[in-house]
Formats: sequence, C-alpha cells, structure tokens
Amino acid sequence: MEILPKTLSTTNAIRSGKLTASANLEQKIAAVEKHDSAVRAFIEKYYDDARKSAAQVDAKITAEKPVGRLAGLVVAVKNVIAVKDRRLTCASRMLENYLSPYDAAVVEKLRAQDAIIIGSLNCDEFACGSDNTKSAFFPTVNPVSFFDEKGEITNANASEKYVPGGSSGASAAAVAADFCDLALATDTGGSIRCPAAFCGVTGFKPTYGTVSRYGMADMAMSFEQIGPMAPDAYGCALLLSVISGKDYRDSTTSKTVATKAPDASFAASANNAKIRIGVPKEFFEGADPKVAKAVKDAMARFASKTGCELVPISIPAVRFGIPAYYLLVYSEFASAMQKYDGLKYGAKPEANEELVPTVSKVRTANIGKECKRRIMLGTYITTKEHKDAWYTKALKARAYVRAQFDDALAKCDFIIGPTMPNLAWKIGEKAADPLQSYLEDVLTVPANLCGLPAGSVPCARIGKLPVGLQVIGKRGSDYETISLMAQIESSLVG
Amino acid sequence: MDSSELTVMIGLEIHVQLATKSKLFCSCNTDYQTAAGPNENVCPTCTAQPGTKPFDMNAYAFEQALRIALALGCDRMRDSVTMQRKHYFYPDLPANYQRTSTPIAEGGSLAGVSITEVHIEEDPGRYDLKTGIVDYNRAGVPLLEIVTDPVITSPDHARKFLEELRAILDYLGAARDVESGSMRADANLSITGHNRVEVKNINSFHGVFSALTYETSRQKNMVKNGLEPERETRHFDEDRDITLGLRKKESVDDYRYIPDPDVQPIAITKEQLNRINASLPELPRKKMERFRGQYGASDDEAHALCMELAMADAFERVAKKVDPKLAAGFMRGTLKKQLNFRSWNFAKVAQKEQFIIDTLLLLSERKVTDKVAEKILIDAMDGKAGQKTASQYAESAGLIGVQKSGELAEIIEKAIAENAKAVLDYDAGAAKALQFLAGRVMAMTKGRADPTTVQELLKKRLSK
Repeated sequence: MEILPKTLSTTNAIRSGKLTASANLEQKIAAVEKHDSAVRAFIEKYYDDARKSAAQVDAKITAEKPVGRLAGLVVAVKNVIAVKDRRLTCASRMLENYLSPYDAAVVEKLRAQDAIIIGSLNCDEFACGSDNTKSAFFPTVNPVSFFDEKGEITNANASEKYVPGGSSGASAAAVAADFCDLALATDTGGSIRCPAAFCGVTGFKPTYGTVSRYGMADMAMSFEQIGPMAPDAYGCALLLSVISGKDYRDSTTSKTVATKAPDASFAASANNAKIRIGVPKEFFEGADPKVAKAVKDAMARFASKTGCELVPISIPAVRFGIPAYYLLVYSEFASAMQKYDGLKYGAKPEANEELVPTVSKVRTANIGKECKRRIMLGTYITTKEHKDAWYTKALKARAYVRAQFDDALAKCDFIIGPTMPNLAWKIGEKAADPLQSYLEDVLTVPANLCGLPAGSVPCARIGKLPVGLQVIGKRGSDYETISLMAQIESSLVG
Repeated sequence: MDSSELTVMIGLEIHVQLATKSKLFCSCNTDYQTAAGPNENVCPTCTAQPGTKPFDMNAYAFEQALRIALALGCDRMRDSVTMQRKHYFYPDLPANYQRTSTPIAEGGSLAGVSITEVHIEEDPGRYDLKTGIVDYNRAGVPLLEIVTDPVITSPDHARKFLEELRAILDYLGAARDVESGSMRADANLSITGHNRVEVKNINSFHGVFSALTYETSRQKNMVKNGLEPERETRHFDEDRDITLGLRKKESVDDYRYIPDPDVQPIAITKEQLNRINASLPELPRKKMERFRGQYGASDDEAHALCMELAMADAFERVAKKVDPKLAAGFMRGTLKKQLNFRSWNFAKVAQKEQFIIDTLLLLSERKVTDKVAEKILIDAMDGKAGQKTASQYAESAGLIGVQKSGELAEIIEKAIAENAKAVLDYDAGAAKALQFLAGRVMAMTKGRADPTTVQELLKKRLSK
C-alpha cells in the first residue's frame, strides 16, 4: 500500500469534508496549548483570526465553492515575516512592540490560497544564529528532547534539552511538534535546512529570487530566501508553489516564474537512470563520523532503489564558504540594521539628546550581543580603510565558490551530502564561542553564496536526534530538487 | 598682492529632481510640494518599514536620466549601472542610507564646463530642525546629480553654465520645475594654490551665484591678507546671502558604500541610447544657431530667446506675422527686461502671445512709439489691458500715436507759448533748450508722439 505524505492526506481529508478546517485547527491549537510551554515556539498566537478563517474555508467547502491550494492547512510564520497589524518582532527588543502596517507578499499569498495562519514563531534575533538560543525573548527547545520512540511528546520534563537549530528553529519545532501543518521560514545561510535537520522535518530554501522577500525583515539581502518547512517534501512543494513568483515589490524576483504545484508524477522516478548525483568529498571531511555514515547509508539505499548514479566529486572551494559568507553577511547586515535608530519605530530612546548619543543609546540597549557583533564587524570591514582587504576579497571568494559549484552542477544534476556536520547540541553548549557555531554552517552556506535551491530531508535518527540529508539543485530547478527529496523520502520508508 | 590677479576654480554638484509621477523605488506620488500634509505620500517601502525592499526601478525615471546625459553631450555612457548604499545617520533618511547609483555617463560639456559624471539617486525626506518634524513625502523622489569638473572660473561663468543647463532641462521636460526648490547644489571652490572649500545647502539657481560671489570674495580677501582659507564645509544661508562654517574637514566622511543587494544592476543598451538620441528635441545650442541663420538674430538675441523653450517657440510664431528682426529685438529687449524685473519666465505670459504680435504690428506701422509699446506690454502683464487686443487697449487708453500734424503742431505752439525763456535760450544758441522743449511736448502728448518727429517739427518752427 502506498503511504501518502502527511500533508497530502490532510489536504485530501479537508477537501473531501472528512476533516473540517476548524477541526484541523482545533487539533493544532490543542497541541500548542498542551506543549508549547515546553517547546516555546510561538511569539504570538492568532487563534481568533485563525478560527474565523477556518470557518470561512469550511463554509466554502460546504457550499462547494472553489477553495485555495492551501485550504484549511494550518500555517505558522517565522516572526521576521510581516503580518498586517501583528507584532513583527524579529525576536528582538528593538521591535518588541512594532506592529507591521502591511502583509508580506508571502502572507498575502497564504491568505489568497485559504491557509489558516495560527501565529508567529520565534527565531534567533534578526535571524542571526544557528540554534535559536539568540532570541531576545526565550530559546525554543527542540521537540525531539521530549519525544518518545513514536515521535510523540510524552516527556515534557526531559532534563536534556536540545537546540532546534536556527535561525528558524521554532518553525521546524512547530512542524515537528504538530503545532501546524506547514511553516514559513527564512534561510540566509542554512536557517531553514539546519533546523529541519535537527528537528527531523523537511525544509527547502528556493533559488535566490524565486520567492518575494517583500515583508521579510532583512538579514543579508543577497543571500536569503523565504522557504517552506513541512513534515514532508510534498508539503514543501505545495507551499512553494503558492509563495513563489514574480513580485514588483522585490526587484530580485523579476525573472521568476512561480514553481508549479506538485502533481501526480511529483515523486515518481521517471528517468532516474539518467540522473547523476554528485557527492562532494568535502561535505564529509569534517562531519561527525556517525552523521557521515548515516547519510552515506541513506544515499546508498536511495541509489539502489531508484537507479540514480552517485558520482564522487570534489569542490575544494567549500573551505572558502564560511569566511566569504560571514564577511559578506556582516557587511549586508550592518547596512540593513542601520534603519533601527529608535526614531521612527520600535524601541524608543529614553533621553532626548543629540542625534548620535540618542541613536547609540537605543541601539546599545535593544540589540543583542550576536547582532551587535555582526554590525560592528560589518561596519569595520566596509570602511574605506578596510574594504579592499575584507569586503572586496570576500566578494571575490564568493565568485570563486560560485564558479566551482556551477562547474560541479554542469557535470551532475544534483549535489547531495549531510545538511549539518553534527547532531543537534544541547542548549547552552556552544554559547561561549561563536566561531564553533559559525562552523556548523559549513555545508549549508554554499547554496546561499551561489543562490542555489537546497533542501534538507530527514534520513536517519541517532538515538533520538534526527539526521538531515541535503540536496542541492541547479539554479531554477526548485521543483525537480524537491521532487528528488520526495523520492529520497519514500525510498527510506519501510 | 592684487586680489584681481587671483584665479578661482569652481566645481558644482547639481541635484535636479526628475519629472516623474512616482518615486524611484515605490509607486508613491512624487508631489511633495502640494501634498495635503506631512507623510501623506508615503508607503511602507519609502519609509523603510522592516521587511520592505525597493520595487522594480522606475524605468521612466531612468530614461529621463539617460535623456539628460545624452543632451549634455556625455560621450562615455556606461553599459551597466549599479545602485549603491551610502550610509549615514540622519532623521530625513528612512533607512539611514541613501541609494545612489554608480555613474551613468561621463564626459560632455556645457558653456565650457566639462561634466565629470551624472548619476541617479533617491531624495531624502525633509527634517525640520526647529519642530523636529520629519516629512517623508519627498523621500524616494528620483534625483539626477550632475557633477562638473572644477573648471568654472567665476560666479558669472557658473551662472552661464546653469542657465544653459536649465534650458536643456526645460527643453527635455525631464526635470521638475527648477525654480521651486527642486534644484539644489553643492559647490567646491578654491583659489588656485590654496585649500578647497565646500559650500552646501544651495537651493536655487540664483543661490549658486550669490553663494559663489560671497565665497569668492571671502577667500580672495583672506589670501590677499596672507591668510589660508581652511579646508572645510560651509553652509549657505540664503536669507543673508552668506556662507557659514559648518564643520572642519579633519576626517574624511566614510559612507561605507556597498552595492545595494536588493537592486539588480541596470543595463544600458546601444539600442536604447540610439532610440533616445533619435527622439531628443532640437537643443538650445542648435536652436540658437538656427535663429541666427534663419531670422538674422544677433548672438545675444538668439541666446535670450532660446533659454526658454516656450519663448523660442513663441518667437517663431511671432516671426511669421511680423518682421523677425523687430520681433527678436523687442522680445530680447523690452519683453525680457520686463520678465527679468518680475522674475518671471516666459511661460507666465505665454497666453499674451497674440497681444505681443499686435503690439509689434502697431509698432511696425509706427502707430505707437517704442515707449508706448513698452507701456502697453507692461499694462498687459499687470492685467490692466483686460480682454482687449493691443490696438483696442492703445486706442482706449489714448496711446495711439499723435500723427495728425495739425494736432502735434497745436501742441508745439502751446509749448512754445508756455516756455518763452527756453525759446529765447535756443535763439541765443543753447542747444539744450531744444531738448527741454521737446521734453515738454512729449509730456503733453503723454509719450504718444514720435520723439524724432517732434524734434524735427520744433527745429522747423523755431527757425522761422
């Protein structure tokens, strides 16, 4: 018997009337109410609005009116994405009470396709972090910390609390804990794929320019994309088909066409014999041997089931990924954060002094340590004196990495490897040394440096901790990449 | 050292607002001058709300920028332009960085002033220091910055350059009304061999001239007295027509320019440039040349007529009805004097074109004198002529020339009778007395008589 992806069975049940949108929502609300005190994924819950939307969807279905592609599916949104008249905090004191005056493009699209928006989700402050411990409000806990063998939360008092990954840790946690059917997250250097891997869900970062960033608070603009998180690849494909497409309000989407919705042949292996999958040795070199083995086993199993060819390759430029990525991220982030001066919105300065001390005081008091570190480094390396030595060189390194990945993808259809070199760590474990945390991004940042589509699909568990397998595709092959993820997913079942 | 021997070198950075309906990176209306109130024409994007990005760039604005660059004769057009972020903290800047492009074009020259480069940027909002009110209606309005080489040799030279620049902008219709604060300039000025001083906050064409005049004489006086002008930025105070020290240039401003990651590089293609070049109107220099050839206008007349497109066009229509030379002289002299006196442009009297034609016809038929023609024109400009035609008005105001010799002879007799002493003086050989008598006659005719005729008739009468 074929096992349907969870998202597909939920959407089928709602469309056929077996499950009402309202009942689906109430199940999610019940789960949130029961377990979010332990997981701490939500910043704000929109139950009232959500119940109204669910009732409207049910009315449409009862009246046999056409419904949107996400009809009745409960979606939670990372709180760096604007929802009109709701707090857009970016998990920062700076914007703690800032109400967004507009909907992000992706939120407009969710509404247009009858999604039920349940609330906003925690993350690292301004998406700066890899483990969700850098939220100015509270850390989100990886739900697997509380899981029993069946993957259900039974031990909410577990003493060993693992990070959910970051920066979209709460988006992955909310999907893993069944607080929502789908979640919207953002990925600047792995912020979707890392938490997907750590929490055992599926996440996808689209090709740069595929999804409008209008309404997504900036971290590093030339790297980031909004992307889907779901229990399965089908959910990612479905959500991506809704949120992708050209938007004049984000000029980097100008050449984009919307990714098609998953159809009947979505996860079929039509021409797998012709598919060549590159396996870069650099992706395994620094990885935890247990993780490396789990990923290799999953790859072998997939290849033998589908007939895809695994091709050992080498991409030496991977080692430039982290320095190039962080230097450019600092530069762009320092620029993006320039607007938070306390004069227009968000945190207000206490004293009304001269401009410079007023702005400095409000920024000092309301921006967290990791963000400050990035702003200061970014400011330093873009000054006239240091620009050539750092910023300009990092741009060159980025071009170099990009050229090598393009070259590899000219010879193969996809690149695969682990998503993260290590398993999720315990909360507090890497707090002392930010470099330790940066190095965890080594396998995810190349896709952002190069603008390539990349996703993470769960492939194993070591103890209770999930392992993610990463698939990187050619620029623009978002549908095909998620489709391959779906095939990997089904090859690992049973 | 004689200060007149000191030479000054001036460079200008001129900002003009491009004439567009919407802002550069969002669809808000650009009309900040007549907006209902502060922050009426704003949206999340031009107030830099978290999450907003620049929209697709206003293609019309970019096209206007290219038209201006080509009209200035820029010969080195770039094939790709990148938007950059220029960072500084100031309340009028919504994101605390300004988007400003790399050069669109270089080269070209105007009135002997070579152009360094032109580029496009976003106007900041307006911050009123006294009230603390920030108004973002202007934030994001497309600006073109024209940078000249430091080759301007005097305030007068700067004025000539700006006059021609304004004419080009007027011909293209590519810039917003340049007189109403939509043109701003920064200047750098140095006495050869001495420190360079920057002058900011110049907000009108006239202001450039005033600021440069003040600053030139200030620096020349310093140098003459053995003092060295400081390397500094000064602020032009338009109310007082002086410049004031703003800050010392001890450190170089560091704006931390980076390419704006949100804006894709903009391509400029050969086809685009060819198309724009082909659609450019006849430009002022070309038109002046043609007016000299076609209408026999003097250099001075051609220049004055061609500095404003509406005037040049009106002249060509007038020249079809009356002698072009008479028209050129009158429009350059009498009309232009009256416009300058009122600080008006021709557009303000454009609907009086037929009146001007009629006045010139009266003049060419010698029905009115030059003086009366000027008076009719002044009255028309002041609204005193109402809906009347020039000849109706001249008739009703009794300004049609005293041509019947009988009438004039009577007046002359009267003048002689009333001024017996002057007549005696004239007889005694005082030539001045004739002028005096002629003046009396002119006054008695209220200027309607032709002065030459009056003198001739007087001489004849007195020699009897």
